Amino acid sequence: MLFRMIRGVLFHQKGKMLLIALTIALGASLATGMLNVVLGVEEKVNKELKNYGANIVVKPKDSSLLSDIYDVGEGAELNTAYLREDELGKLKTIFWAFNIVDFTPFLDTQVTLPDGGTAGMTGSWFNHHLDLPTGESLDAGIVGMRSWWDITEGRWLDEKDENASGEVIAGALLAQRQGWHAGDVIHLKASHGEKDVTIAGIFDAGGDEDEQIYATLDLVQALTDRENKVASIEVSALTTPDNELARRAAKNPAALSSRDYETWYCTAYVSAICYQIQEVITGSVASAVRKVAESEGTILDKTKLLMILITALSLVGSALGISNLVTASVMERSKEIGLLKAIGAKDRSITGVVMTEILITALLGFAAGYLLGFGFAQLIGQSVFGSSIDMDPKVAPIVAGLIALVTIAGSLPAIRMVLRLRPAEVLHGG
Amino acid sequence: MTKRRMFLRMITASLLRRRSRMMIALLSIGIGATILAGLVTIYVDVPRQMGAQFRSYGANMLLLPKEGAALNRDQLAGVLETIPQDELIGATPYRYVRLDMTSRQQSFTAAGTDFSQVPKTSPYFSIEGAYPENTREVLVGKNIADNIGVKTGSTMELTYQPTDSGEQASPEESRTPNAELAGSAEGFGGGTVYVTVKLDGQAAIASLEIDAGTQTPEYGGRAAEDDNFLKQFIGKTLPLALGEDVDALSGATVTSEAVVQAVNTARKTEKAARPQTLNFTVTGILTTGGEEEDYVFLSLDDMKTLTGSEQLDVVELSVSASAEQLEAYAAAISDEHDTVQARLVKRVTRSEASVLEKLTALVFLVTLVVLLLTMICVSTTMMAVVSERRREIGLRKALGASDGSIRAEFLGEGLFLGLLGGILGGILGFVFAQVVSVNVFGSSITFQPLLLPITMIISMLIAALSCLLPIKRAVAIDPAIVLKGE
Repeated sequence: MLFRMIRGVLFHQKGKMLLIALTIALGASLATGMLNVVLGVEEKVNKELKNYGANIVVKPKDSSLLSDIYDVGEGAELNTAYLREDELGKLKTIFWAFNIVDFTPFLDTQVTLPDGGTAGMTGSWFNHHLDLPTGESLDAGIVGMRSWWDITEGRWLDEKDENASGEVIAGALLAQRQGWHAGDVIHLKASHGEKDVTIAGIFDAGGDEDEQIYATLDLVQALTDRENKVASIEVSALTTPDNELARRAAKNPAALSSRDYETWYCTAYVSAICYQIQEVITGSVASAVRKVAESEGTILDKTKLLMILITALSLVGSALGISNLVTASVMERSKEIGLLKAIGAKDRSITGVVMTEILITALLGFAAGYLLGFGFAQLIGQSVFGSSIDMDPKVAPIVAGLIALVTIAGSLPAIRMVLRLRPAEVLHGG
Repeated sequence: MTKRRMFLRMITASLLRRRSRMMIALLSIGIGATILAGLVTIYVDVPRQMGAQFRSYGANMLLLPKEGAALNRDQLAGVLETIPQDELIGATPYRYVRLDMTSRQQSFTAAGTDFSQVPKTSPYFSIEGAYPENTREVLVGKNIADNIGVKTGSTMELTYQPTDSGEQASPEESRTPNAELAGSAEGFGGGTVYVTVKLDGQAAIASLEIDAGTQTPEYGGRAAEDDNFLKQFIGKTLPLALGEDVDALSGATVTSEAVVQAVNTARKTEKAARPQTLNFTVTGILTTGGEEEDYVFLSLDDMKTLTGSEQLDVVELSVSASAEQLEAYAAAISDEHDTVQARLVKRVTRSEASVLEKLTALVFLVTLVVLLLTMICVSTTMMAVVSERRREIGLRKALGASDGSIRAEFLGEGLFLGLLGGILGGILGFVFAQVVSVNVFGSSITFQPLLLPITMIISMLIAALSCLLPIKRAVAIDPAIVLKGE
């Protein structure tokens, strides 16, 4: 009998039930979409913030404070400590390997230009292909880590090209002063060799780099006889904003209790990643570039909080919308409920029937809304960040619970109100 | 008259007597309007608020002296007028020199700066200890501190050693507008006379200071205080000739000659100053993870005492404005001033523009989706409330009410609810936006006066539209069928 009554309502009052289902679906889709966006936004914004460049710099332990502190001229080869190029792949083997987005080594020297002047020359990776022991492969280098550089003439140096080690790119100011253009061949002389190189492109970095020449790491190593050596490494990593624990750990990890240490080591704090980098790169000191790391933390926190508050508002809004409609539709059925009461139905069974109907409708609405919400999340992900937003498995139960709560909360007071009415009055048409 | 009164009474009666239903409708419109007003306010304010957050990346504009020109603190105020005060977060002047720490035979890059501005343009500076507040206090970069073993509270003696002071002044140097020059020459009895000359915008002498402490006080020593003697120099361009441009001080010809020679051979201050040693107290150790860790920071006043010059190498500006606006400001500054050029820090401006654009787009899309769904929710509720009254409509029709009057009444009701809900929502929405702004960005939000009427109009429109559809259906049905039930 119950089944027949419910089926009757669902089919005979199609219009009204459809309206409720539609509202619930909209509310559910809003909740699903927003929750997914809020859970995924940190990762997306974090990736966007990688535009600012490296947030970790790795240097040799006994590095060249010498040249800074004793006012020795540049080019004097005092820098005796180096990192090893063949160890760079190890960066992708640390605990937080997945969070390391990009990295590139640097090795700099002074070269003598054709006109007898000197200029700084930096060797680096451009789009260096790396096969990792884990079987993965990636392209790392400054093409990705200097996203604000403009190539004003020619092109980026392409390491996949066979002639790459005979090419350089030159800074805009230097090129302008020297009258260089893309395609020119210039003769460069360094401490341990000289070579004719082709200028592949001219770049505008808006900084000190505009006075320099950039070439492949191999070329600079060969010219300075520093095989397999790099002077510093810049690493771009996705990190969690620092908290009090991270700050304590950054000072001295050894001072932490073993549980704190574990929490810290297994969270992507910039200090934890630095620590793990030091573990794999021999004789290195990794330090956070506070300018970038700190700002990322602030912006991530703010964005997330903003999205959470907007989500909260939209959840409250859709909850109230759904419960409103449910209340309205229950009250509308006062006549029917009065009739049921008049023919002797108990309050409990009436409540049971009405609730079952509404919950079935809500379930249908939720299913449709969840799919729709998935669509919204993807729409936002694709149009804003150009990549899809991962569906978090947590979202479905959260939204389902929310919808159930809202539906019940919305219908109970209405049912109670209707039950309190006397059947005669209702049926009479009060 | 009576007709209108009847109309009003019908609307108010229906609102009052059917309180619970009307509350539902009002609540739902109110929620819709709150979300509308709140989200739009946030959306409008997000770029400004987020932009301010992005300033934690540090300076996005640099002021540099144009080639051959000098930049000093007095000019700075004029230059900064180009940028609106509320957009300028900080302006930090820097002057870099090498200082020696004689006791350790080491030399460091020292930056003279204004410590009240540093935290504004470089909020990422992390300091163990405190920023210097007085003169003779320094902030030491972590690398240096580790290397020479200084701590907060230690003292260090720093010396400024002018380089290649033997060289002759070049004619360009004495014709640089706004330059500060310093010179010296041998005066009476083998004592040295020192002068400091400031040039104005036309490279004429703007001020002259003489240090004649080595000269006989009654004779040559007067040169430093004698206004009539000093006045002769002002407004003249270098080089000067004694007897033509300047008359000698009576009884102090040798000193006067020395002053003129010192003025004529004066060089840019940093090349001509005397060695100076000052004793500093370390107030803090600076960690940044960048090259600043290799610097010592001291106040501009100390820098002036050490080098004798007030010139600046660069001024870092942190401006909360969009990339296009920044470019406009930079171009305006470079055009308006002969001696100053503005450059943007591309790394910061470019990245900020791209990230900010994405964030704004994110908030925009989210706002759009939320609004759309909320509005549909509101109208479904309204539809449910109205379609419940089909019987009433049928009864009215049976009593002879025209379709038009029924429609007008329901529309009136809808519009009234929309108005009420709109006002309610407009206010609540602003409160919500304020709460968000204070919690997220720690600053209050500006009220958009236009938003209240817009919210009201949209709420009324939605309320009216969502009434129309069910009324149309109800009106179309034969009253007999409606009244009979089903």
